[in-house]
Amino acid sequence: MTADTGSVRLEGVVKRHGATTVLHGIDLEIRPGEFFVLLGPSGSGKTTTLRILAGLETVSAGRVLMDGADVTAQEPGERDVAMVFQSYALYPHMTVGQNIGFPLKMVGMPAAQIQRAVSEAAARVGIAHLLARTPGQLSGGQQQRCALARAIVRSPRLFLLDEPLSNLDAKLRLETRLELHRLQRSLGATTVYVTHDQEEAMTLADRIAVFMEGRIVQVGTPREVFARPTTREVAAFIGTPPMNLLAGRLDGANVIVDGAALPLLARADAPRDVVVGVRPGDLRVAPRGLPAVVERVEDLGDSSIVSFTAGERLLKLKSDRPPAVEEGQAVHLAFAPDAAHLFDPQTGARL
Amino acid sequence: MTASGDSRASRERARGIALAAIAGVGLAIWAFPVIWGLLTSFKTERDVLAYPPKFIFEPTLANYREVLFGASSILPNLGSSLVVSVGATLLTMLFAVPAAYALARLRYPARRASGFYVLATQMLPPVGLIIPYYLALQKVGGLDTYTGLIVIDLTFSLPFAIWLMVSYFEDVPYEMEEAALLDRAGRVRALWHVILPQVRGGIAVTTIFVFLNAWNEFLFAVVLGGNRVRTVTVAMFNFISVEQTQWARLAAGAMLAMAPVILIGLFAQRHIVKGLTVGAVKGGGRR
Repeated sequence: MTADTGSVRLEGVVKRHGATTVLHGIDLEIRPGEFFVLLGPSGSGKTTTLRILAGLETVSAGRVLMDGADVTAQEPGERDVAMVFQSYALYPHMTVGQNIGFPLKMVGMPAAQIQRAVSEAAARVGIAHLLARTPGQLSGGQQQRCALARAIVRSPRLFLLDEPLSNLDAKLRLETRLELHRLQRSLGATTVYVTHDQEEAMTLADRIAVFMEGRIVQVGTPREVFARPTTREVAAFIGTPPMNLLAGRLDGANVIVDGAALPLLARADAPRDVVVGVRPGDLRVAPRGLPAVVERVEDLGDSSIVSFTAGERLLKLKSDRPPAVEEGQAVHLAFAPDAAHLFDPQTGARL
Repeated sequence: MTASGDSRASRERARGIALAAIAGVGLAIWAFPVIWGLLTSFKTERDVLAYPPKFIFEPTLANYREVLFGASSILPNLGSSLVVSVGATLLTMLFAVPAAYALARLRYPARRASGFYVLATQMLPPVGLIIPYYLALQKVGGLDTYTGLIVIDLTFSLPFAIWLMVSYFEDVPYEMEEAALLDRAGRVRALWHVILPQVRGGIAVTTIFVFLNAWNEFLFAVVLGGNRVRTVTVAMFNFISVEQTQWARLAAGAMLAMAPVILIGLFAQRHIVKGLTVGAVKGGGRR
């Protein structure tokens, strides 16, 4: 093993289906042992990228490198990668034990050794007692574990997971998320994980690549992507509820929205149009600021989400305190000067 | 139990009785010729022609003795039918399974066109093909040979089998095959270990259909066969002649010819049900 083992690199990867281009030149560097999440709305190219890593899709242009070696032309079986499919893709005619042992059987491992490896992998994901059953006799969560065990049993250099939690109910999803993270840490294998759920991405990832319309628009740690989104689209995609975006005019150290001057840290030498973004958690009710009317108060017990209308716009405020306003009440909204994100209204790029 | 519960239960019972009655009528219509044939096969020729028809008569095994061991024994013909049917079935399945897999899975130009071509061969009426087939077989010396009849059987059983098998292959989620590829199975072993076990119900059903079609085939056998290759359907036709029709022997022969069909049907029932449940396994794939 070298320091390179488990590294993955995509260089200018383009994927076309006929006349449509699905990926417009993807460049990506994934470090050994990293939990790397491909995040984006559906149709953004994240699953295609994962399938290119698996070798299930060919590239129209560009290169795929693993451990520094070019694997672009290699078949899926030659790449030493394991994948957990969204549907799990368990073999219904085999028992759980046979499912997990299948990749080992295919490389000609002796039966006794397979049995040992299968028990070990099954124990790791907590399904050692289910080896004799068939997938049809398992619950959704157990099927998901079976698929995981089949992936980890042969210790591949790269794990690929395609929305593995999307078929589980909400409670199980939270539990499995934790276990998945622990499993990845204990195995130490490079993991690429596709999801459209930004909360999953934030909690699991060492780093995130945000996909939009076949391009990577930002790569960074969850904190970086949340705190400094590079485009308006990323800002709007990350965070629950999503960031409030207001068209305004930057003038000196203020941004003017609907005639209300809101102070900023940034300064403009000449006045210009901007889009100002404020996270719901950064918005607050203040004596002065943007005039708004309380539309709806959602009390979540330990926190609250308040919706406001300000002119045509709908704004959201998130607070960890019980709401102190009532529906229909006229208020002013403000935010700390350092909490504002500014974007170019034409290009959407961060200013 | 409430009054409304009572009326609902009785309504459901009435519905069950009505359905059973409809099924009973259907079954009687279907079964009558078979039962009548079975009765006829145990009658003497005189009882067969008795009017009004006799339901109570002294049964005889003479007809069976005659068609099995007599001068007009159909045993050699049963043998011929078996050779033709088994040969045609094996060859059909040997080609149909990989062809159907290819049509269901692989993406290549003219895939749709070739799928349509397969179906189009089914659209020709067999009668229209008899003379060309006869001439073609005559040219290559294939008349009255097993090879000739089997090859001709293939021309219509193969498209049918491919067409039937494609739908079974299409029901296997593609991701399952991709999973096998990632598990280093390669395409051939993925087909063998992962795909074929899941379509075995379909293979069983298709095999049975193809066998039964070949076994029951009459038109080509009568024209393209002869003294050496005479299948049981053709042999029974010989019980009908200008002077007389030997109904009782014909019935006995028909019962013997039907026996394998019925046995296969009973055996296949289990497989057909199994074939259906394999596709229904929860988590077997995304729909």
